[in-house]
Amino acid sequence: MKPLLELICPAGSLPALKAAVDHGADGVYLGLKDNTNARNFSGLNFDARTLAEGIRYAHAKGAKVLMALNTYPQPATLARWHAAVDTAATSGVDAIILADPGLMAYARKTHPNLRLHLSVQGSATSYEAVNFYRERFGIQRAVLPRVLSLAQVENVVQHTDVEIELFGFGGLCVMVEGRCLLSSYACGDSPNTFGACSPGHAVRWEQTPKGMETRLNGVLIDRYADNEKAGYPTLCKGRFEVQGETYYALEEPTSLNSMELLPEMARLGIAAIKIEGRQRSPAYAAQVTKVWRAAIDAVKRSAETFKPNPAWMAELNKVSEGSMHTLGAYYRPWK
Amino acid sequence: MQLPAFPAPLARLVTRLPTWPTSWAFAAACNLAAWPTLKDLDWEVVRGRRFRVVVKDMGLGLFFSVTPKGFRAERNGLADVTFTATAQDFARLALRLEDPDTLFFNRRLLIEGDTDLGLMVKNMLDAVELETLTGNMPGPMGQALNRLRRLALAQQPV
Amino acid sequence: MKLALGPLLYYWSREDTLAYYEAAAGWPVDIVYLGETVCSRRHLLRLQDYLGLAEKLVAAGKEVVLSTQTLIESESDLKALRKLVKDGRFLVEANEWGAVRLLAQANQAFVSGPTLNVYNPDTLTLLADMGAKRWVPPVEMPRDMLAAMLASGNHPAGMETELFGYGRLPLAYSARCFTARHYNLQKDDCQFKCLEHPDGLTLRSREGEDFLTLNGIQTQSAKIMNLAHRLDELRSTGVDVLRLSPQFRHMERVVNVFRALLDGDIAPAEATHRLDRIMPGRPCDGYWLGEAGMAYTGMQAQA
Repeated sequence: MKPLLELICPAGSLPALKAAVDHGADGVYLGLKDNTNARNFSGLNFDARTLAEGIRYAHAKGAKVLMALNTYPQPATLARWHAAVDTAATSGVDAIILADPGLMAYARKTHPNLRLHLSVQGSATSYEAVNFYRERFGIQRAVLPRVLSLAQVENVVQHTDVEIELFGFGGLCVMVEGRCLLSSYACGDSPNTFGACSPGHAVRWEQTPKGMETRLNGVLIDRYADNEKAGYPTLCKGRFEVQGETYYALEEPTSLNSMELLPEMARLGIAAIKIEGRQRSPAYAAQVTKVWRAAIDAVKRSAETFKPNPAWMAELNKVSEGSMHTLGAYYRPWK
Repeated sequence: MQLPAFPAPLARLVTRLPTWPTSWAFAAACNLAAWPTLKDLDWEVVRGRRFRVVVKDMGLGLFFSVTPKGFRAERNGLADVTFTATAQDFARLALRLEDPDTLFFNRRLLIEGDTDLGLMVKNMLDAVELETLTGNMPGPMGQALNRLRRLALAQQPV
Repeated sequence: MKLALGPLLYYWSREDTLAYYEAAAGWPVDIVYLGETVCSRRHLLRLQDYLGLAEKLVAAGKEVVLSTQTLIESESDLKALRKLVKDGRFLVEANEWGAVRLLAQANQAFVSGPTLNVYNPDTLTLLADMGAKRWVPPVEMPRDMLAAMLASGNHPAGMETELFGYGRLPLAYSARCFTARHYNLQKDDCQFKCLEHPDGLTLRSREGEDFLTLNGIQTQSAKIMNLAHRLDELRSTGVDVLRLSPQFRHMERVVNVFRALLDGDIAPAEATHRLDRIMPGRPCDGYWLGEAGMAYTGMQAQA
């Protein structure tokens, strides 16, 4: 039987993994301490010891561990990605999350029993694309980019055997994941190759008389008055001037929160809900996992009567960028 | 939960303290309470870098570095990275009650200077298990912190 | 080295578009890419129009490639894609993996477009097995990585490499239309505002620096990528085709400069000098050198 609304939570560290598992995650996803995954931030992620301990802890409590290897291997360092796949296979993770077809071919050939998920970084937005990865590499699950309306998601679900995982909450990529080079245009490092958007070395925050300024490799991307909420220092959440008007030209600092759509997602047979935020602390993992566990349990009990509890929404808004949330592309007028 | 606010008269008193002795006292306290746990982290990457912690409601500035033997108060010079927040928020961060990004979005935490260094230290500290840290603390200190944290969690609405 | 005219990324009036391609039939380019790669709402030219243009361009001695839409969202997007694949008379540039699947099923040779994210020889080999005969690396790929790709032991034999050499860099795609957003319109009722911005809408930093270009759901650089001054390097690295991305004015002059450069009639310094005067923005070349894409080194400090 296919899974339904598994709760998949972010783990940037061992304490975050334990917090997510303790608060009811069905699975956690994590990455290694290098650019083989798309949250390659300094000091974050897992080494051999914490990986082994994390898998032991999660499995003891019945939770799965998924390893993200979702950046694009490059010729000079291809061996690093192959070694990471080998590490995943031998350490006993439940699946690996990949974006690059070449790497999928390697994983399929070298570890035929290793379960493969298609990462959101693979940019598959149609069932034709999803089925390509299914036919060629036998992927079992695909994480869809945050660009489809729910009706479009339904169309994908109806035309593939692949389990579909959707983002439920957290940082909102406004651009199709895997097809966004804004970070590398400004600072030289892209999610695809470096594994980070707006890496710390390119970011400067400074409190000035005009407000708190955020710069990315010297480019002023926003200036906040004292009472204004802030967002991540990514270009898509910056304030710019277009034809004499200064505004959030791409998107406001806001986070995705699709909780009110859970009954509909259940009806569509969505296999899993992903919570974004491996860059965040164990406190976040605990807070967000707890709320989403309660919500998903409530939907499974009674989808018809489900309404997001206002206290849950308040708790989620608190940890959101700009303290705001949006349904993003799931809600067509957002586009 | 609200940890007790820092009393204003005491804040005024602390404001008048010079940076060096306070930094020294802070470093000494950290070495006593946290170093037994933190010494196992890979501090090589931050060797020689200098940190400033500004507790804004107390008007207090702490200036220190991390050496192979522990925290060391610094006297002069510029910090590589500066963290600014209230005493209450620093306490909530230390007790893992709050996520730094959340505080940043709400403009309650400011990181200036070398952002990457700031993120690295934040992530290194996040990777420490709280039970290990409090378990290694001398005397009843660790137990007291665990109790405080449980109390705070019990007061959360969700 | 061959010259290619990349797909038109903006939305121009039907007259302007037809006039542009009519003129292009007489320009000294070897390859012309046709088709709407950005937005399914842009409908002034339909597939039939593009096929008509393709025939004319072929008659004028050009190789024609039909480019597919980069972001596929709906069943009608897929329908349009299947129609394009089904025609089968022209080479197709696949810009996402659904198109690759359909082309491979139809046993058609194709060009692997820049958004397929080919960063390593294994993926390129896979594409070659599926029918790719040419590939366009991601626009962010630096010289050293491209060199390593082409020098790799398993670089597919006969695979042509086409590099994005001139024009505003396509950087990102979204479900959201930023041009409509600028006018406080919803995408479904965008009033085709892109028609008013034949070179896109410039986005500036709050310090007045031209930074990005809004082109419907696509975000581009404000600066113009220009590798004319790196011609010797492009050749020695193994670039077979140089892609010039259309701009609203002076495109013929851009093409002529590159032709003269490739034919050895003018030196790279002279080409750069001429291009500077007809470029609708400041130049950049950072990606090629492995730096921030917006950086510009230009003629100085060449090895």
